Amino acid sequence: MQAHIKISGLLSLVLLAGYQPVASAHAVVTDYSLKLAPIHAHQADKVSLNFNSKIELGLSQVFLVSKGDQLSPLEIARGDRQGQMTIAVPALPPGDYALKLKVFAADGHLTEDVIHFTVAP
Amino acid sequence: MAGIADFLDSLIGGFALICFAFAIGSLFWGLFVLRPWQREAAYSAQLLERTVKLMYTGGFALAAAQLFKIILKVWLMTAVLDKWPFPEFAETTQFIGGIIRTMLTLVLATYCYVVLSKNPYSKQYWQTAGLIAVPMIISGAWLVHAAGRFDNPYVLMALTVIHQLGAAAWIGGVFHLVNIWMMRSKQQIAADLWPLLLKRFSVFGMASVGVILLTGLPMALQYIDSWNGFIGTGYGNLLMVKIVLLGLALGLAWLNKSAVQDYFVTRNNHTLTYRLPYYIEAESFVLITLLFTAASLASQPPAIDIPNLTASWQEVLDMFTPRIPRTASPSHQALIAGEAGRVAIIGQVPSEAATAWSDYNHNIAGIFLTTMSFFAMLSYVKRLPSAFSGLERYVVYLTRYWPIGFVGLGIFLFFRSDAETWPLGPIGFWESTFNNGEVLQHRIATLLVFVLGLIELIARMPRNQNSRLPYFFPILAAFGGLMLLTHSHIGFQAKSAFLIQVGHTFMGVLSLILACGRWLELKLDKPGKDIAGFISVAALFQIGLILMFYREPLY
Repeated sequence: MQAHIKISGLLSLVLLAGYQPVASAHAVVTDYSLKLAPIHAHQADKVSLNFNSKIELGLSQVFLVSKGDQLSPLEIARGDRQGQMTIAVPALPPGDYALKLKVFAADGHLTEDVIHFTVAP
Repeated sequence: MAGIADFLDSLIGGFALICFAFAIGSLFWGLFVLRPWQREAAYSAQLLERTVKLMYTGGFALAAAQLFKIILKVWLMTAVLDKWPFPEFAETTQFIGGIIRTMLTLVLATYCYVVLSKNPYSKQYWQTAGLIAVPMIISGAWLVHAAGRFDNPYVLMALTVIHQLGAAAWIGGVFHLVNIWMMRSKQQIAADLWPLLLKRFSVFGMASVGVILLTGLPMALQYIDSWNGFIGTGYGNLLMVKIVLLGLALGLAWLNKSAVQDYFVTRNNHTLTYRLPYYIEAESFVLITLLFTAASLASQPPAIDIPNLTASWQEVLDMFTPRIPRTASPSHQALIAGEAGRVAIIGQVPSEAATAWSDYNHNIAGIFLTTMSFFAMLSYVKRLPSAFSGLERYVVYLTRYWPIGFVGLGIFLFFRSDAETWPLGPIGFWESTFNNGEVLQHRIATLLVFVLGLIELIARMPRNQNSRLPYFFPILAAFGGLMLLTHSHIGFQAKSAFLIQVGHTFMGVLSLILACGRWLELKLDKPGKDIAGFISVAALFQIGLILMFYREPLY
């Protein structure tokens, strides 16, 4: 309830209430392969993400989000370039999905993000 | 508990910068302003003792803050990643750099505590402290924003560290001026030291500000590549706030400098004694907030990296456009019904009820504040127009006891802030308060608003005119402003989050103006007293207007 949280802070002028506990976002995804190469149905694939900052792979996690917000962890590896991450995506039936990221940037900030994608028939 | 860890994490950065300003600012103060080896007879042992004490206390506190930062990261990662982060975390730059910096800071603080405090008049010992500080200062470069960049990281790291040094020199110096004034008030130092050190600091302070600007400009150009990035991103927005705060602080600094110049021409010390110390106190408020804003800025993605998530200036302006406040709330059932769809990742459905609920909360709060501040502003009007003279008796009460509105606001917040918990929602009071960091913070905030209203109300009672109670209000208002500026975060929908943030950061700045104005009203003599007081409640009125016209983006 982001909005509700904001309200108390302001109103009060006096305190905290504006606070929203979402991890700070410093390492953001600047580009990802899904933009150019969509995933085909029933074929395992690799997705690469480019970040604006160096990231600590050992402290980062990626989940596949499927219908009903079911989360399954995905395997991640370092990409060819600095700040690039490669994700192994299993074969999927057609439908709407998302990648949920929890990434620890080299400057110490933990970022959460979501990338939506569709697997076409 | 991740909420509490993240909340503390957002504060610890600013706190660490304050400690850095105490430790390193004291070093600069000793080496370049005080220069104890030149005026042994003029400086009392007590002055030197206090100066060195501020330095090592700042150092020990910085070491503790640095260590606590690491502990918080571990706590946060354990909560967010749902696993123990070691051994991976032990291999990161943040962990290694953090531990090294903690150790180096401890070495500096210990040297000051054990050695420098015994030889505070010796140039050699001060210079040695300076040499010991160098590796500690350099080690900080690996802990800043720039360390994670791909382009020009070393240049940016160096610029950041020098920028921090300039800030520490200036802000640490201002803290020392407050200290000098306190000692002078207690007659612990010679009276003529006050103007002398003020004069010396004027030159030193200007040089420090020069360093801040010379290093800040290239960094800003590196991280922000367009006007839209400056206006339409969280990074640009916080930088703008930093510039505004810098302007406020420089305005107060200019008043100080003029007062010192006048004194050395006229030898009239009225301003130097009855006004300038309070300008410096207000400047301290601004500078502390500036440090917290700087720490918050470091957690934002630079504007240059998020061109697709940047809001246009029209969208930003729209957040402040006057409109009819929402005075009808959606039902609680409608709000709860829309929540599952709103927070879903797959098939997310924006909730109009949630947006309307939030708009209503903000707008009603705005009505509370504008009404309160209207009567507060009225208290500065000497005489009501003759048509209203019959109401004068009632208006007097309203203009004096307007803070009662905070009590009402606290009650309103208690019912509306967390719709999913008691008394409106199904989750019990104690369960929600202690099992959810967010709700706990709201409960504390609500209680504080309520208590603040009561305290200020009691403070305004005729029998309490000379108590210290009135000082609670500006301190808490400054703290509130600081909170609003500190927790600017970006969630999954960066642009919506920014548009929500932009109004809040401006309210943070206005809260600070409110705090400084009220502080100066309590401290200054006339006519400055009335001017500061009116500016203060006018800032409250502005906050009320922003809230009253607030419209949350649908998300």
